Amino acid sequence: MTTAPADVEKTVVDFLTSVDKLPEGFGAETPLYSDGAGLDSLETAELSATLEDVHGSDPYSAGDMPQTLGEILAFYAA
Amino acid sequence: MSHEAYDPQSHYDRVTAAWQLLLGDELHYGVFDSGDEPLAVATAALTRRMIDAADLGATGPDGAPLRVLDVGCGSGHPARTIAREHGVHVVGITTSGVGVETARARTAEAGVEGVTFEQRDGTDNGFEDASFDRSWALESAHLMRDKAALVGECARVLRPGGRFVLCDLVRHREIPFAEVRARRDDFAVLRTAFGDAHFATLDDYERLAAEHGLVTDVRQDLTQTTLPTFDRWRANADDHRDEVVDLIGTDGHAAFVRSCDILEAFWRDGTFGYGLVSAKRPD
Repeated sequence: MTTAPADVEKTVVDFLTSVDKLPEGFGAETPLYSDGAGLDSLETAELSATLEDVHGSDPYSAGDMPQTLGEILAFYAA
Repeated sequence: MSHEAYDPQSHYDRVTAAWQLLLGDELHYGVFDSGDEPLAVATAALTRRMIDAADLGATGPDGAPLRVLDVGCGSGHPARTIAREHGVHVVGITTSGVGVETARARTAEAGVEGVTFEQRDGTDNGFEDASFDRSWALESAHLMRDKAALVGECARVLRPGGRFVLCDLVRHREIPFAEVRARRDDFAVLRTAFGDAHFATLDDYERLAAEHGLVTDVRQDLTQTTLPTFDRWRANADDHRDEVVDLIGTDGHAAFVRSCDILEAFWRDGTFGYGLVSAKRPD
């Protein structure tokens, strides 16, 4: 799968769905952690590994801590 | 397994029967003085520490029996113990419907008076302000993500002079994200076996108690004395393998055994451990 925005967004949405944490109206600005999707540290680590497995790299392993889908998309666009 | 099954209510509904076999009737860790005691002696010793820290020998207003809120009461063993031995009135709450049914049935079988159980959330318990003399959380806090709400609710229901006591798994250090990611398989095994657990530090509990007007005067690190618990749990998993597999499956049994190894390693390397705090609401 490519790092095109639609593909990355699908990976994130699929992951949030798999952990039963896809908020209603989820979008680029929805927080991934508290007051948003509510991912905890283990789930965030699992999202990080999933992004790397699917797209070959991930922002968390690069030292970033993206707060939203938009910030994840920005990592791959850079 | 869906992640929904890791929430405390679903988790306890699923594992209560198996845990009776694996963890023993009291469903919690043991405190080992010599290291050679049977698990039941050690779990009773932990309950005894909570009883001492709760000062259950006192009396309530006008000499009435103390009224105790047991948050996360499990199958009700400690509630029955303190009601029987100290004459206190206990209201045990848990989010698990199975837990409530089990606790009520066992209490009826035991013929213990002064103990009731209700299905309620410890982080939003719904009881009136200042309606209890003690709030008691024996190894339930790690399954409540919102520790501030838990401590706040335990403090809110206390009368002046009341006391909040808690013992639980605790975290001794920060775990960097890179370590969580590297050890995510281990943490996932713990989640499978023990549910969606989150550990706070003893400092966290003391700070939260202070934020709600309580003064912590008992604080115990029980990490070393609880360490033999894992040996006993592994032995139980071996002794009761067929029954446990019938209840939670081969994967559930394997996850439990593996989780004992993982937790023991965390205990030994200073990441996780066990602690107790007791805090008083001033008169």
